[in-house]
Order: sequence, then C-alpha cells, then structure tokens
Amino acid sequence: MKNDEEKVVFKGGTKIRKGASGVTFDIIKYGLLTIASIICVIPFILVISGSFSQNDIIMREGYGILPKAFTVEAYEAIFKYPQEILNAYKMTIYYTVVGTAVGLAVIVLTAYVISRKTFKYRNTVSFLIYFTTIFGGGMVPWYLMYTTILGLKGSTFIIWFPAIMTPFFVILMRTFITGSVPDAIIESAKIDGAGEGRILLSIVLPVLGPGLATVGLFLALGYWNDWYRSSLFSTSKATYELQFYLYNLINSAKALQEMADAGATVGVIDVPSQTTKLAMAVVTTGPVLLFYPFVQKYFVSGITIGAVKG
Amino acid sequence: MNTAAASKSLATSLNRPVGSRRFGLLIALGASVLILLLTLPLLDWISISNASKVAKSLGIEGNKLSKVGAKTHYSVLLFLDFVQKTKAGLLGFPAALLLMACVASLVLNVMFIIKLIINKPNKKGYLGVFVNAKGAYILTIISALGTFAYCMYANHTVEALKKKTTIGNAFRPTWVVIVVLVIAILAYVLIKIMEAQERKLYHEHGLLREIKKNWILFIFFFFCFVYFLINNYLPMSGIYFAFTQFNFRDGLFSSPFIGMKNFEYLVRADLWKLTRNTILYNIVFITLGNTLQIFFAILVSQCGVKWFKRVSQTLLLMPHFVSYVILKVLVYNILEYDIGVINSAIAASGGTRIDFYNTPAYWPFLITFFNLWKGLGYGTVVYLATIMGISDEYYEAAKIDGANIFQQIRYITLPLLKPTFIILLLYAIGGIFKGQFELFWQMVGNNGMLFNVTDILDTYVYRVTISQPMNMGLSTAAGLYQSVFGLIVVVVTNAIIKHNNAEYALF
Repeated sequence: MKNDEEKVVFKGGTKIRKGASGVTFDIIKYGLLTIASIICVIPFILVISGSFSQNDIIMREGYGILPKAFTVEAYEAIFKYPQEILNAYKMTIYYTVVGTAVGLAVIVLTAYVISRKTFKYRNTVSFLIYFTTIFGGGMVPWYLMYTTILGLKGSTFIIWFPAIMTPFFVILMRTFITGSVPDAIIESAKIDGAGEGRILLSIVLPVLGPGLATVGLFLALGYWNDWYRSSLFSTSKATYELQFYLYNLINSAKALQEMADAGATVGVIDVPSQTTKLAMAVVTTGPVLLFYPFVQKYFVSGITIGAVKG
Repeated sequence: MNTAAASKSLATSLNRPVGSRRFGLLIALGASVLILLLTLPLLDWISISNASKVAKSLGIEGNKLSKVGAKTHYSVLLFLDFVQKTKAGLLGFPAALLLMACVASLVLNVMFIIKLIINKPNKKGYLGVFVNAKGAYILTIISALGTFAYCMYANHTVEALKKKTTIGNAFRPTWVVIVVLVIAILAYVLIKIMEAQERKLYHEHGLLREIKKNWILFIFFFFCFVYFLINNYLPMSGIYFAFTQFNFRDGLFSSPFIGMKNFEYLVRADLWKLTRNTILYNIVFITLGNTLQIFFAILVSQCGVKWFKRVSQTLLLMPHFVSYVILKVLVYNILEYDIGVINSAIAASGGTRIDFYNTPAYWPFLITFFNLWKGLGYGTVVYLATIMGISDEYYEAAKIDGANIFQQIRYITLPLLKPTFIILLLYAIGGIFKGQFELFWQMVGNNGMLFNVTDILDTYVYRVTISQPMNMGLSTAAGLYQSVFGLIVVVVTNAIIKHNNAEYALF
C-alpha cells in the first residue's frame, strides 16, 4: 500500500520526501508561483475592468482593479459604427488564413526536402536557410525590395507574404518529420516504387498532424498579432491589420475624434475616449485568449521541440 | 577477399595526392597564386582613354579628371573611388557588384591555396577542395567577364549623359583581365577533369545527375527558394544604399556614391549610444531572463498538485500570446499620469503622482520588467521540458543518500540544465546586436524625451525610415552595421564553442 502511494506522488512530479526543508520549500514555491501568476494576469484584468468602466469616472478618478460604475458604453461606442473594425477583423482573418495555409504548404515541402538523407544538397540548403537568421540586408533594402522594386505597396499580398515562413519553422517542421517518420520507411516505400510526391502525401502527411497544428498555430498567432507590416505597407484603411487599427486608434487622439465625428453626424457626440481604447484592446485580443487554453499544448510542444533540437 | 575493405584501403591510399593528381593540383595552385597576384590592386584592370571627353560628359569642371582627383587607370578593387570622385552615381552599383565578385574570388582562391598547403583531405578525398576551387575559378571568370561588361556599360552610360559628346570606347579592360580570364578557364577545366576522376572513386555525382535523380525534390524546394530570394537574398544587394546619399530622384541604385560618409555621420551622432543601449538591454534581458526562467521552471516542476501546476503554467505563458500593441495598452493603462492605475492609487492615498512618460530614469527598469513579464512563460516551458527529461533515478539515489531538496536542485537539476542553458545563451549572444524592436517601439514609440536611455538600433532604423525617407542611406548604414557586427559575434562565438565543446556549436 505504502509503495503504491509513493509511486502516485512520483507520477505527479514531486520528487521529494517531505522533511522540514520540504515544508519550507512548499510554502516558498506555491507562494512565489501564485505571485508570479497574478503578476502575469493582472494587467489583463486591469484592461478588462477598465473597458467596462464609465469614462467620466475614469477621467476623474483614474483606473482601478475593479470596474468603476459597470457599463458597456465603450463597447457600444465601438460597435455603433462597426464598419472599420469589422473590416480590420475581416482582413486579419483573411491574412491569417491565407498566410497560414500557404506558409504551411511551403514549410512542409521545404522541411521534407531537407529531411531526405538521399538529397545531396540538404546541408547546403539548410545552411542557406539558416544563414538568413544571422545576416541580412536590414530593414531598408527589404522594404524597398517590396515597395519600389516589386511595387506592391498597398496590396494585400504584401501583408501576408513576407511572413509565410521562417528558418525556425522549417527546422521545427523537419524535426517533426524526422521524429514521426523513420528513414527506413521512406526508403522501403521508394524501393516499392513510390515517388517523392506519393511518399509525402500518403506516408508523411498522415502522421504529421501535431507538427502541422504546432507550426500552423505559431504562424496564425504571428499573423493575428502583427501590426508591423501594415505600418510599413498599408496605404489605406481597407488593408489594415487589426492590431495596426488598434495601434492607430490608441496612438492618435485624432482617430478617436474621427470616430466621434462620424457619430456626431448621426447625433451621437460622446465617444468615451479612454475606455474605448481598452475595449478595443479586449475585442482585438479576445479570440487569442479564448482559443489559448485549448491550443496551449501545441504551443508548448513547439516551444519545447524548437528549443531543444532547433 | 573482402572487396569492400580492399576498395576502402585503396581509397585511403589515394587520399594522398599521387601521380597525375599531384601534378594537377600543383598546376591549380600555381593558377590560383597567379590569379591572386594579377587581381590585387598592383595591376590595373580598367583604363580610361579620352579622359577629357569623359570628364566633360560627367560634367567635371575644366574637363579634367585630375581636378577631382580621379585617375585614368584603376584596379577593379578601387574603381568605386572613381565613381565617388566623379559623382557618377549611375556607375556605382555595377562597380560594387564587380567588387563583390572580385573579393569573393580572392577569398575563395586564398582558401583553396590554404587547403592545398595544409593538405588534409576528408573522408570524401579531395572533392571538398575541388568544390572550393571550382567556386574560386567561376567567380574569377565572372569578375573578368564582368569587367568587360562593365566597361561596355560605362561607355554607354557616360555617353548618354551629355548628348553631344561621344567618348567612344573610353573605358577599356586591360591585358591583365584577358590573362586572368584565360588562366581561370584553363584551371577550371583542369579541376573539372580531376573532379570527374575523383567522383568515380567515391561514387559521387554532380548537380546535373542530382537534378535528374531528385528533380521532384527540386520542385518542392522551388517555392522556398523563391521566398528566400525575394525576402532575404535579393534585398542584400540593398546594402549598397548604405554607401550612397540615398534619394528617390536619382533612383535606388544610381544615387551618388559617398563611400563611408554615412558611417562617419553615424559614429559622430548616435551610434555609440544606440549600440550601448542595444547591448546593455540584451545583457540584462539574457541574465535576468534566464535566471528567472530556470528558477520558475524548477518551482513548477516541484509542484505536486497537478491542477496548480497546469494553471500556473498557463497563466505564466499568457503574456507571450498578446501582441505588443496590447502591451502598449497595458503599459499605458498602468503608467498614465492622470488616470493610470499606479498614479490613481498614489493619488487616492494622498501621494504625489509620478510622471513616468517624461522621466527617463524609470524606463530601463520598466522595459526590463515588461520584457521579463512577456518572456517568462516561454523560457519556463523550455527549461521545464529539460527538467522533465531528467531521470527520476538521480533524485531517488540522492534521497537515499539523505540529500534535501535544495541539495538535489543544486547538485542534480542545475548541472543537468547546463546544456540547455548554454544553447539558449549562445543563441542570445548571437543576437546581441538585435534589439527587441516591437517591445521598445510599442513601449516608447516616438517619445523623444526617453530616447537617451531607450533608443536602440532597431527603433532608430525604423524611425528614420518611416519619418525621413531622404535619410534611408543612413538607416541602411545603421542596419548594415548591426548586421555585420551581429554576424561577427555569431561567428566568433561559434568558433570558440566549436573549439571548446563541438556538440554545442551552432553550425
């Protein structure tokens, strides 16, 4: 009986028998972890409760941890004239879906190529891909390449294309492929007459689910959280990414004034200036935080594999 | 008789250059030395006749090249000097490309010579050496042919500048170029022949055979190739902008070439401050970040209560998932003077408000805090994975010997975390010239009050590019400085690591 009990405890991860030092350590570890967790979460709570506060009171008394005079006026203000934010939402979803899909396809193809031991130039190719992380022309040539030379400024293509792959994702995917399909299986399929395309489609892809999920989520998160490319390449609000829309909103009192003016023409004058920013932040990041608990394990596996073997 | 073993011993004996191969390699060595001597700026590759007409076309006062200090004979390595002195921006970029090819051929030739002198063939015999030699000769051929092409281009371009002046074939390649071209072609053919023999020995094949055999893999790879070409490799040619007085009127690659002037300006202005900030912040991030991450990874791993472990890990990782724009909102919400959480609390308890956004002294701490805040969960997951991989047996044995929990951490967990720590540290050191652009930009943005302690190379480049398009040459120079020193740091770190402990090496 006693042995069984101990075994269960080990499974749970506790690797100590409780002594005096064990108890002290218990208090320290649970205490510190609780404090750290609270510090990590509290800014979110501040923003959420701020977004449900009344703007007038905020202007007088400032923000607090709990909502001051609970109201949804900030959300009403946003969604009274929702065209712009809905468009930003729509565009961001478009960028995320297209970018992730194209990116995954290219990453899988590349990772497959450099995972094949019979491919003579796999080391050369791997190095050329890796080299881009240690040396580059810098931001200006990159920017001019897309804008002046390719003339893509203002298009939607340019928002998603530059982020379809990174060396890290390729290496990560290669690790997933070599981890889930032993070389011997591929070789025997080759001997049986399967071509590379056939091997990729019917042997590698079916077992690559976790890899696709992990890299796909990394890509999708990157697209959802990006504001940088819009700030460089967008020429009109029609192509704004959601984060850049929010960035503009919080950066300029002017943007808020425009919102107020749009309201004024139809009779609404008050746009709650401060709480609207927070409500926008909540609306923008809501989907990420809603999905987060469900997809967390894929991220964790990606981080782990990427760090250890990348 | 074991034929495999026999052929292996044959191969080993052939690893020493014998007979015809030794002779061939000697000739190649001679060719490389000759190319080296002919390419070095002792001899001129380009001569300019009709100097006065050229000067007139280029709009030089008095129609004399010597007025601006330009000469009539140039080594291809120094030709950019002519471009700079005569302010012939149009001639700059091709000359820079030519220079690159030439320098690359010199480097490869030197490498080839060194390899032959050291004479240490690897398990594929001399194939690696041959690849090096082929590269060297191809680049030499490109340099020589490029010089011909460049002279034609220069004649054409300079003539087009002034309608009424004809300069004829003013820019001419000298005899040296022809000699170099012939030597390089002959040496290339020689190496090809020797390589074909060597390949038979090791059952190797070349690019064409590989394409025929694995053509579908080349198609798979094509998309990746296009992407990195557009996104990374072609933009590298834009490094040239760093040496020009960039402006859109003259055109991307034809703005006036000004040599190192941009760098001189940067050194006089902000470079020291930017470098200091970038590196110091990174050092603080690396030390504090890793310490905290290891600390919390150990704490989480020691949690017996499963739900607590899961919840705390989820919460710690949460900041990683929000964008930096959201971070900006959070920071603003907390620090704002009138309504921020901290100042509201201070005001409510009767204290004086703190003007964070106008007081530089707070910002190194604030930026560090939010960096740690955002990165804590990620690093914790990484270290936690390593800790979970440690076998229970170590701890069992330690417990039997009476080690308490702190001793177990000190003598088992920490030593076994060392490899992970070193790998992460290496990556971080490699990136020490790269700042956390999004963090700094979103927290500070255009707030000039704080630049002295918060401006890093990345924010500087972005700000200049966005707000002063006329100074793009300057921001390219800053970016190039960052790239080059970043590369040097990576290569040096890697070399040191490789020397001490090869398994940790990055490449």
